[in-house]
Order: sequence, then structure tokens, then C-alpha cells
Amino acid sequence: MIQSVGRAARILKALGSESARLGVTELAERLGLAKATVYGLLRTLEAHQLVEQDTETGKYRLGPALLQLGNAFLDNNELRARSLLWAETLAGRAREAVHVGVLYGPNVLLVHHVFRPDNSLQILQVGASIPWHACALGKATVAYLDPDARAELLAGPLPRLTGRTLTTRELLEAELEAVVASGVAVEDQEAIVGEAGIAAALFDNRGAVVGAIGLAGPVERLLPDGPASETVAAVKEAARGLSRELGAGRPAVPRAGA
Amino acid sequence: MRLWLNDVAARLEAERDFLTQLDAAIGDADHGVNMHRGFTAVVAKVGAAGEISAGQLLKLAGRTFVSTVGGAAGPLYGTAFLQAGEALGDHERFGPKLLGEALRASLEGVQRVGAASPGDKTMVDALTPALAAYELELRMGGSLETAVSGAREAAAEGMRATIPLQARKGRASYLGPRSVGHQDPGATSSALMFAALEQAVLADRSQRFASGARRQVSGP
Repeated sequence: MIQSVGRAARILKALGSESARLGVTELAERLGLAKATVYGLLRTLEAHQLVEQDTETGKYRLGPALLQLGNAFLDNNELRARSLLWAETLAGRAREAVHVGVLYGPNVLLVHHVFRPDNSLQILQVGASIPWHACALGKATVAYLDPDARAELLAGPLPRLTGRTLTTRELLEAELEAVVASGVAVEDQEAIVGEAGIAAALFDNRGAVVGAIGLAGPVERLLPDGPASETVAAVKEAARGLSRELGAGRPAVPRAGA
Repeated sequence: MRLWLNDVAARLEAERDFLTQLDAAIGDADHGVNMHRGFTAVVAKVGAAGEISAGQLLKLAGRTFVSTVGGAAGPLYGTAFLQAGEALGDHERFGPKLLGEALRASLEGVQRVGAASPGDKTMVDALTPALAAYELELRMGGSLETAVSGAREAAAEGMRATIPLQARKGRASYLGPRSVGHQDPGATSSALMFAALEQAVLADRSQRFASGARRQVSGP
């Protein structure tokens, strides 16, 4: 590992997790580095437009180059690219919004979002970050992770997002078992009151889970009395088809975690 | 009670686009439309209902809201009205203390369904200070009028105080730091309801005062 690059990365992450701007002193304290070191790194990052300085306060924030890089991440993300057609088809078939997500730490990062096809005004959710245990995409993904990774996530913070969020290890373990048994994950107002999700995991040709695709919509439509079988079938079909493509032609073999 | 419900409906119609705008910034852009649709239905149902108690009116409002409004607003406000209606029961008239109990019951219902705490950047950030101000006024010997006034002011302050907060609940929480700098739509519609409550109480008082004055003039 190259120390200065690692330190620069930590600076970018610190600035990315804060709503307020951060000054040199605050960053130095937060990262346990000398102020002169932080200052030098900031000047270099600034030259590359990865950070910029607020002229009034002198504090630093993320720079415009990151938006470009973020977009490039999305554009080049293979999962997202291959999911475009499958997601569009699924949305048309189920008449609900479709989300495609990947696990990033303890959260699901949405890399693709197809609007519900009803001409209503909707807001693009790409880039949204949702705690894994509170959404169908997350539960679908984590159910197939290797045992160590799964255990780490189950041991981690499980914040309560609504009155129905599952927040204990026991409840979530049972939930993950149900995912493997049924092939889909269901979320019933566990992240947002009034919203539900149905998702299935995506696999690559080595059988490793790489993300999930699913529906997101009003609970009364998605889960009228539990998920409707045609809806579940549509989600599974999209996941299977997309997984096959990610396997570069070879059929994906889902491998459930022990 | 009807005065209040009608006033809320009128304010929601006037503020529909504003609420939608707030929700477009940090939600899914449907709060204004949802609240307006819900209260239009409530006003219609309440208008058609015969002579029923305030508590029953609120419960009717709650049920109507749950069945006509989607998203988070439906279940949350629906529960709030239902719980408040339960607390008021069948009393034809109710004093400030019972109204306070209804307000507390509605906040508890909202927190049970949504699991939000003050500071999460939700309607709870308007409801909690409003209730605290209301109860404080009564404890210090205030009247119903001063209590709802205090509640209106505290709710408005709470609503404005959501601007710098980072959302920890709801769709806004997916935005992380980007939710900072925007006023919460749920806190805004809640503050609107407390403003309407103050107006309704004052209007009710002046109506009663006016009819009392007429009786005096015309003799016993």
C-alpha cells in the first residue's frame, strides 16, 4: 500500500461522509495526521479538482471531478449496464419501479432505477444507500454471502428505520433462511413506511452473489396478501436471465451460504 | 373539529405545490398531492357524516386517510388521527386537558409506526415541540387559546429546525448529507395543521362569544 495515496483516500471519504465542510485542523484530528501532511494532501487533491476550498470559510469539500468519476463508475459498472434491458422488461411486466443494487459495506447502493411505468412524477434513486437489513435487495444479497461476510453483517449495527424494521440477529437469520428457501426476499415497510420490496439475488459464473434486482412500490400493491405469485415469478425470471448474462454465457449456479 | 378539518384541507390545497417541491428535493415528490387528496376525501366524508362526536370525526378522518393516501403520510397521519380520535372518545365537548391527551396519543402512534425520534428530520420534529409547548402552557396555568398558540409557534420552529438536519428516516435518509439544507415536508404539513388548530380554536371562541353576546342583547 502506498501511504500517501491511502491517506488521500481517507480524506476523500471523510469529506464524503460529512454534511459540513471540514477544515485542515478538523481533518487532521479526525484522521490522526499532522496538519502539514493534511494540508499538503489537500493542495494536491485540489489541483486535481477532487476537493475544493470554500473561499469564505476556508474549509474543504469534495470537488467536481468526483461527480464525473461517479458517473463513469455508473457508466462502466457491468452489472448496471447488463441490467438495463432486464430491469426495463421487469418494470413493464410488473408495472412497478425496479431497483438494481450492490452491497457496499453494510448498505445497498442502488446502481440502477427504472421508474414505475405510469407517467407519474418520480425521483431518481440511483446512488441511494440503504441499510442491507431493511431492504429486499440487501436481504437477497446477504442470504448468499459466504458465512464470514454474512456473520459480520449480522453482528454489525442494525438500525431501526421504521416500526417494522428487523433489528435482531435472530430475526434476520430466520429471514435469510427464508430467502434461500423461497428464492426471493421480501421487505414489508421495513425501510420506509408504506413501501415494500421483492428482490432476487444475482450471480456471476463462479456462483458468487454480485447484487440483486427487485421491485419497489406501495405496500398495498406489492404485497396485497403477501407477494403475488406472478410478481415473484417475474422477479426471479429477471434475476435468472441477468445472472446468465453476467456469467458470460455459462449458466449460473446459485450457491447458498452454509 | 369540523372547522379545523376544513381549514387544514384549505391550507393543504393552497400549499400543495410547495409541499410537493419540498418532497421533490428530499423525497419522491408526492407529499403535496397525497395530503391534498387525503384531506379532500376527509372533508367529503366529514361533510356527509351526521352529528357525530369530535372523536368519531377524527377516527373517520384517520380511516379515510389510510385508505386514500399512499406513501408514508397515509399510515402515519392515519394513525395520528385514529389515536387522537380514540383519546377524545364520545365526548361532545372537550377541554384543553383532553385535547392534550389526544395530541400525545397521536404522537405516540406516529412514533410507533415510523420509529422516528426528534432530530431524525421528520414530522416528529414538529409534533414533539408542539406537544411540549402545549403541555407547558397548560401546566403554567394557560388557557386552550394560549396552549394552541404555543403549539403552533413551536411546531413552526420545529419545522424550520429540520432544515440543517440530516435525514435518518424515510426516503430522505438515502440521500445522506444531501438531505441537509432542505425543510422536511412532513414537518411542514404538521406545522400547517397546528396553525389551523389555532385558527379553529380562535374562530370557535369568537363564534361562541358572538352568539353569547346576541343572547345577552336579545334577553334571556
